[in-house]
Amino acid sequence: MRVLIVEDEVRLAENLATALRDGPGFAVDWAEDGLAGDDLAANPCYDLIILDLMLPKLDGLGLLKRLRARRDATPVLILTAKDGADSIIQLLNAGADDYLAKPFDLGELIARAKALIRRGKGAAHPTLNTLGMEVNTLEQTVRRNGNFVDLSPTEYRILEYLIHRPRVIVSKRELLEHLYDYNWEHHSNVIEVHVSNLRKKLDAAVPEADPIIETMRGRGYRLAPSFPAELDPTAEDPAIDRTTERTR
Amino acid sequence: MKLRIQPRSIAFRLILAVLGIELLSSVLVVALSYGYERHIHFHAFDVMLHGRVDSILGAVQEADDPGENVMLEQADLHVPPEDIYEVWDENGRLLGRSANWKDAPDWKTDGGAPPAHPWGDYLLISTNGHHYRLLRIQGSRTIDPRENGGGKVRKVTVIYGSQTGHVWHIIHQAVQFYAIGSLALLLVTGPLIAWLLHRGLLPLRELAALASQVSVDSWHFSPPDSARTTPELAPLTHAIEAVLQRLERSFTQQKTFVSDAAHELKTAVAVQKSSLQLLNMKRRTLQEYQAGLERCVADSLRLESLVADMLTLARAETPAPNAEAQPTTDLNHCISQVVTQMESIASLRNVKVAIPDLDPKAAPLNVAMHAEDCRLLVSNLLLNALQHSPSESTVEIRVTTNPGSNPPVAVLVLQDHGDGIPGEALPHVFDRFYRGDPSRTRNTGGTGLGLAICKALVQKARGAIQIASQPDAGQPDQGTAVTVLLPLAS
Repeated sequence: MRVLIVEDEVRLAENLATALRDGPGFAVDWAEDGLAGDDLAANPCYDLIILDLMLPKLDGLGLLKRLRARRDATPVLILTAKDGADSIIQLLNAGADDYLAKPFDLGELIARAKALIRRGKGAAHPTLNTLGMEVNTLEQTVRRNGNFVDLSPTEYRILEYLIHRPRVIVSKRELLEHLYDYNWEHHSNVIEVHVSNLRKKLDAAVPEADPIIETMRGRGYRLAPSFPAELDPTAEDPAIDRTTERTR
Repeated sequence: MKLRIQPRSIAFRLILAVLGIELLSSVLVVALSYGYERHIHFHAFDVMLHGRVDSILGAVQEADDPGENVMLEQADLHVPPEDIYEVWDENGRLLGRSANWKDAPDWKTDGGAPPAHPWGDYLLISTNGHHYRLLRIQGSRTIDPRENGGGKVRKVTVIYGSQTGHVWHIIHQAVQFYAIGSLALLLVTGPLIAWLLHRGLLPLRELAALASQVSVDSWHFSPPDSARTTPELAPLTHAIEAVLQRLERSFTQQKTFVSDAAHELKTAVAVQKSSLQLLNMKRRTLQEYQAGLERCVADSLRLESLVADMLTLARAETPAPNAEAQPTTDLNHCISQVVTQMESIASLRNVKVAIPDLDPKAAPLNVAMHAEDCRLLVSNLLLNALQHSPSESTVEIRVTTNPGSNPPVAVLVLQDHGDGIPGEALPHVFDRFYRGDPSRTRNTGGTGLGLAICKALVQKARGAIQIASQPDAGQPDQGTAVTVLLPLAS
């Protein structure tokens, strides 16, 4: 998952970025003013935007309005030092999804960030049960048919992203965009190695199982291709279709 | 009609004044009417007395005696029975007297004397239990006018008096009528005036009602037309409007400052809190802990300088008490001190500080400012100039005096050759928490209060501060010049 932080206070942005990278393992980009934030947010690779209100050049509310005006549905978490229900109501009405008042608790911020990303993908519970897999996003553990699968952090992040989008072909580029921030060297073969390892580990958990991740040559990866659509519990979920449309 | 009349209220005082004047005029009317009525009625009374005296004279007859005397024929006399009279002849002989005059004085000598005035003179006496007004007049009676070519003229003195009681009664009644009439008018006009005043003061009450609706949350004040068009209320209305506008402006400024200050403080606290929580998120190595703690200390120092600057600003904005003696500081000495203190920072940034005009032997240039304020002002301005100066440039400090201005001032100019300030930012540089380039000043640790503190310090010393900037690259005068005018100590 990739998060954009728009915050003009350098030290706060540093701390937030470090916490989000170290904790839930998100990729984090940082913009230090409203206009730069708007430029970055135009890229659909973000799963969450953490937005400060008082920003130079373009304030948080202005950025939020621009974002929603171009039908960008990315969840937005506002950081505000302002008191008063009025400004909070105004923010929520302008399309913000949640807010935190400064000085906030880092743990709470991470929990809210996770919840907003989850909701943005259409899942309500932090434990995702799909295709015989149980992915606990809090502990970052994976079980397949009850068997524990030991994954590296990157493998876990790939699975977490794919599991939100079953039966959709996810390109390598999309995976890269959502898992790595701009500070990372982009090498697509890194992804290939990680996906290959992930597939092996998942398939090893269940004897004689069909491969759960299918490689579409030149197009990307697809999760759970072998399941008939009518048996798939996530097929009826409209939220997943909506996210798919947005990313396209 | 609801009348709330309190002592000292304008309505109360006006009503009191009008009623007082009315009362005074009533008293005057009563006094005048008393004088007038008295004059009229006593005049008529005197005319009547003359008439009666004439009747008495008519009753003076020739006596049938050899001395050719006269006598008073009282039988033919028809005068009111309560009147009194007596008649004397020129020899002091009493010719007759009314029967009801019991204790008549014996005017043998002076009673018979002719009155000083040909029309008679008047006496007031009290007899028979009544007050009488007496007319004494001399008349004459000619005896036997046909004999000896003209007869003999006998002079008689008549004293005639009539009771004044009923005249006084009439006068009193007339005066009483006027007094009661005035009192009744007073009673009627009192409430009438109160009511008229109540109506007349309606615009004032409307104005007060609207003005009382103004509060911290709602500054809107639209004065009623009645108040705007009333000549007496128009200045008050304008004054209220002006005061409210100024109040709202300063209140908004204050609110903005508090909200900005809260934002800055909360952000600084958020940085600290997140730094500590980040450090505590997982087990770390000793080196990581050390690095984290160093960052936390740096964050605390920033918070500390922010709080210190806010306190300095609050202190600088507190006006000096008037009773205090005028402070004096040598500006030249202050500048050389600050430049010495800042040498390390200047050399760190590789910037030269030039003071071309400063002569250490020159006489002190005393400005009316506290030494600490002066040091703070100069060091803030110099630090600002240093922070915006590129490497290997020069910051010039020039001090001149302008003794011709009123009051005579010292002129301090700090010129740097940095990037300058864009025109749209220039009017705001003295605003609190304003940052010309937010990311840079945050990185350099500025609190956004430095120039606001300078302005407050200069204003406290009753001076002026201006800033001019040439942001265009390549211009010879590129950079920013801050000019400070400080009144000289007298």
